[in-house]
Amino acid sequence: MNREIYDLCRWVIDTAKKYGATDSKARMSRRKFVEIRYRDRKPEVVKEATTRGLNLDIYIGGKFSSQSTPDLRKDALEDFIKKAVDNTHFIEDDQARSLPDQKYYAGRIDKNLQLADPEHNELTPEKQHEIAKTIENSCLEKTGDKVISVEAGTNKSEWEELILTSNGFEGTTKTTDCWAGASVTVADEGDRRPNGYFWAGARSLADMPSLDYIGEEAARRTLDLLGGKKIKTVTLPVIVENRVVGNLLNGFLSGLYGGNIQQKRSFLANKKGEQVAANLFTIIDDPLIEKAFGSRLYDGDGFPAKQRTIVKNGTIENFFIDWYYSRKLNCEPTTGGTSNLIIPPGDKSPEMLMKDLGRGILITGFIGGNSNSATGDFSIGIIGKLFENGVPVQSVAEMNIADNHLNFWNKLAAIGNDPWKYGDWLTPSLVFSDVMVAGI
Amino acid sequence: MGYFENEFGINDNLCQMLLEKALSKGGDFADVYFEHTIENWLMLEDGKVNRSYGNILLGVGIRTVKGDQVGYGFIQELTKESMLSAAATAASLVNENSRPVASSYKSLKTPNYYPFNDSTIDIPLQSKLPVVKAINEKCFSLSNLIIKVNAGFHDSIKRILIYTSDGVKAEDILPRNFLFASTVAKKDGRTEQSWYNFGGRRDFSYYSVGMAEKLSEIVVARTVNLFDAIQPPAGEMPVVLGPGVTGILLHEAIGHGMEADFNRKKISTYSNMLGKKVAQPFVTIIDDGTNPQQLGSINVDDEGIPGKKTVMVENGILTSYLHDKISAKHYGVEPTGNGRRQSYEHYPQPRMRNTYMLGGKEAPEDVIKAAKNGIYIEDVSNGQVKIGEGDFAFYVSQGRMIEDGKLTAPIKDVNIMGNGPKMLENITMVANDLQLHEGGAGACGKGGQSVPVSFGLPTCLVKSMTVGGTRQKGGAS
Repeated sequence: MNREIYDLCRWVIDTAKKYGATDSKARMSRRKFVEIRYRDRKPEVVKEATTRGLNLDIYIGGKFSSQSTPDLRKDALEDFIKKAVDNTHFIEDDQARSLPDQKYYAGRIDKNLQLADPEHNELTPEKQHEIAKTIENSCLEKTGDKVISVEAGTNKSEWEELILTSNGFEGTTKTTDCWAGASVTVADEGDRRPNGYFWAGARSLADMPSLDYIGEEAARRTLDLLGGKKIKTVTLPVIVENRVVGNLLNGFLSGLYGGNIQQKRSFLANKKGEQVAANLFTIIDDPLIEKAFGSRLYDGDGFPAKQRTIVKNGTIENFFIDWYYSRKLNCEPTTGGTSNLIIPPGDKSPEMLMKDLGRGILITGFIGGNSNSATGDFSIGIIGKLFENGVPVQSVAEMNIADNHLNFWNKLAAIGNDPWKYGDWLTPSLVFSDVMVAGI
Repeated sequence: MGYFENEFGINDNLCQMLLEKALSKGGDFADVYFEHTIENWLMLEDGKVNRSYGNILLGVGIRTVKGDQVGYGFIQELTKESMLSAAATAASLVNENSRPVASSYKSLKTPNYYPFNDSTIDIPLQSKLPVVKAINEKCFSLSNLIIKVNAGFHDSIKRILIYTSDGVKAEDILPRNFLFASTVAKKDGRTEQSWYNFGGRRDFSYYSVGMAEKLSEIVVARTVNLFDAIQPPAGEMPVVLGPGVTGILLHEAIGHGMEADFNRKKISTYSNMLGKKVAQPFVTIIDDGTNPQQLGSINVDDEGIPGKKTVMVENGILTSYLHDKISAKHYGVEPTGNGRRQSYEHYPQPRMRNTYMLGGKEAPEDVIKAAKNGIYIEDVSNGQVKIGEGDFAFYVSQGRMIEDGKLTAPIKDVNIMGNGPKMLENITMVANDLQLHEGGAGACGKGGQSVPVSFGLPTCLVKSMTVGGTRQKGGAS
């Protein structure tokens, strides 16, 4: 962010004070992105824009509101700030509401997390067209005469923010990312047209997998869905594939957030220090990994980022507690949300795990479903492959698993060596024993 | 009307210039979409309305279309120079000779399906506070099992202005608002929670302390009810869908597959079914933008086509997909007014509005009796569908067992799984009690865009669906 934006952000803080705010936090951000999609060997979508905005948190004692606007003209902003402060007067006083104590801002690590690629501008729209074309080609070659449709594409974006608070916090972040992938539909029996996808992303193009691999992987994953049907309700081991572990993990994590704990909506509220899962289950939150999607030097409250063990050998060591809920819960804050989540990988590939198990279901996708943060009960649809003698024999669809997280994570029996690379939760494939999969 | 001209100086001459730029390198047509949205949230937690959130959206999106190809640029700064640069981005899709645009613009006149006297957004916060606070007091008074109450009021006003290269100018003001409540209850060491809302495109007079109390009664009953709930056995069984909000199942399982973009690309399971029998003769399914005050109603869609009522399935025959301009041209039909977008940052796609099935002849109790043994679904959430396969899954948030033709124990924490075309075929009875859902929170996601929608259903029997529980059929829990 340049000096002009810094000065404008400082002016916003001063203006909020002028109209009666006792404290405030201003966040200016800017995002530039380009999206290109191909289908039938021609561009289907070309989209480009730059957006920007101000988010302003206002405190009048314990009265709080948060307002945002894209209109950064100074006269429009002054009117916006005045109205925002005026409206905050009508909010009821909440003694827990304030900016964090300044002492919690201290200790930020001075490290270049390499979240912005200096060569990002060299990824021109022309190159993006070539990327989309290459992926479409490799995908079409692999799908052969089964193909109905391939939509290949790529996005790139550049994002930066500046945060200032009236009590001394300053933070700037700049990131870049690029993504490429394809969505594929193939012909199956009757009117079934299975659709699969594969997308990969990185902070820079140089860290992306090969474009041919991306196209072929999208095709392979779609062809794998052919012949999907439900089978008889059965209890057997399942392997949850790395890229979809987050769908299950999310339900477990919902019990660890300060808001849910304070609002009595957490099935894990009283379980800190207790073993709630198998010994194999460890989760680490690490915001300081270079180039990773969840990396940051400070969190949403401005607290310095640090590595934390959330669950160690099945025992809860830390909750995610932000400043506001730490005051309501009368405890020390940690951090309000996840950064990069790591489940330490094992030493076997999914193929080796299938061989070890003999018969089971490899879950490659979830559909619908729900997880109840108050009780830990969940129910979710699955898509995947039945394997026998370690080899996939049948695609399965329209099936479901249901359990309680306090029971389910105790069934964790093995961990794959394949942490997912293209997101901020670096989850490997996980094996759970004795899972009832409902079908016919 | 004339809001954008008065506030931002947007006029015919400027828009003609933008459209000319958008078609300067060719293309079939272009449009310009201005939006100014103001939205607010008031939230109650631990007995106090202790926070409010506000957001403003302001910008313009410019689209160039050639066949099924889309060039799109958008910008927040409404200066001529910035807007021309967004138009140039849209134009970069093609590289041919320029196409002329209309020289004059006719204002579209439509009925107003959501008139209001008092825009909720203009009502001062201090008038909204008592309604939200009433929820807290009422919920705690209704049951001593309640340990936490959260409530809130959301409202927005979205102003849009559309210019099309074929000479249409359309302007609209879309209100959206809802009052919501959630409660947590504890009994014998067990915790349960539930949520409900009332709303739509309403006038502020729709909301009152009385409504807040009615909402509280519903949400407390739903929460406390869960203490008696069991999980049904897993496997295939008859399913009765109760009236109203269960129409979301129709939206997900059937409606998405009938959106014409999926069909022109041949990636929907319904791609070859137009004109064919897809359901019993007593099944008629409609997508409608014209229901008064309903959340999915639109006076005009986001491409400048008037809001309409579209019969998708008539007496069991698939009669129409849901079209935007691109798919209508592809199929050689009139657009159905389903071209919708989340905001100026997005280009339109075929999207549903209010989707419902017409009522049949049966009495609701006869439908339940006919199911004999199965489950009755009162409310569902978290629906998801795979368009190409037609497979879908839903979470049942409120329901009951049906045993020997009667409603018995409440059920909880189960999913239902099915296949859209199979479910349509398997609807064997339809009751005479169609209800449209009276909510304001419904949002449908597609292609990274969320738009407000509503739905409705009469009680109906699906002869077989997969229920995902933790008990084997005939086994112990």
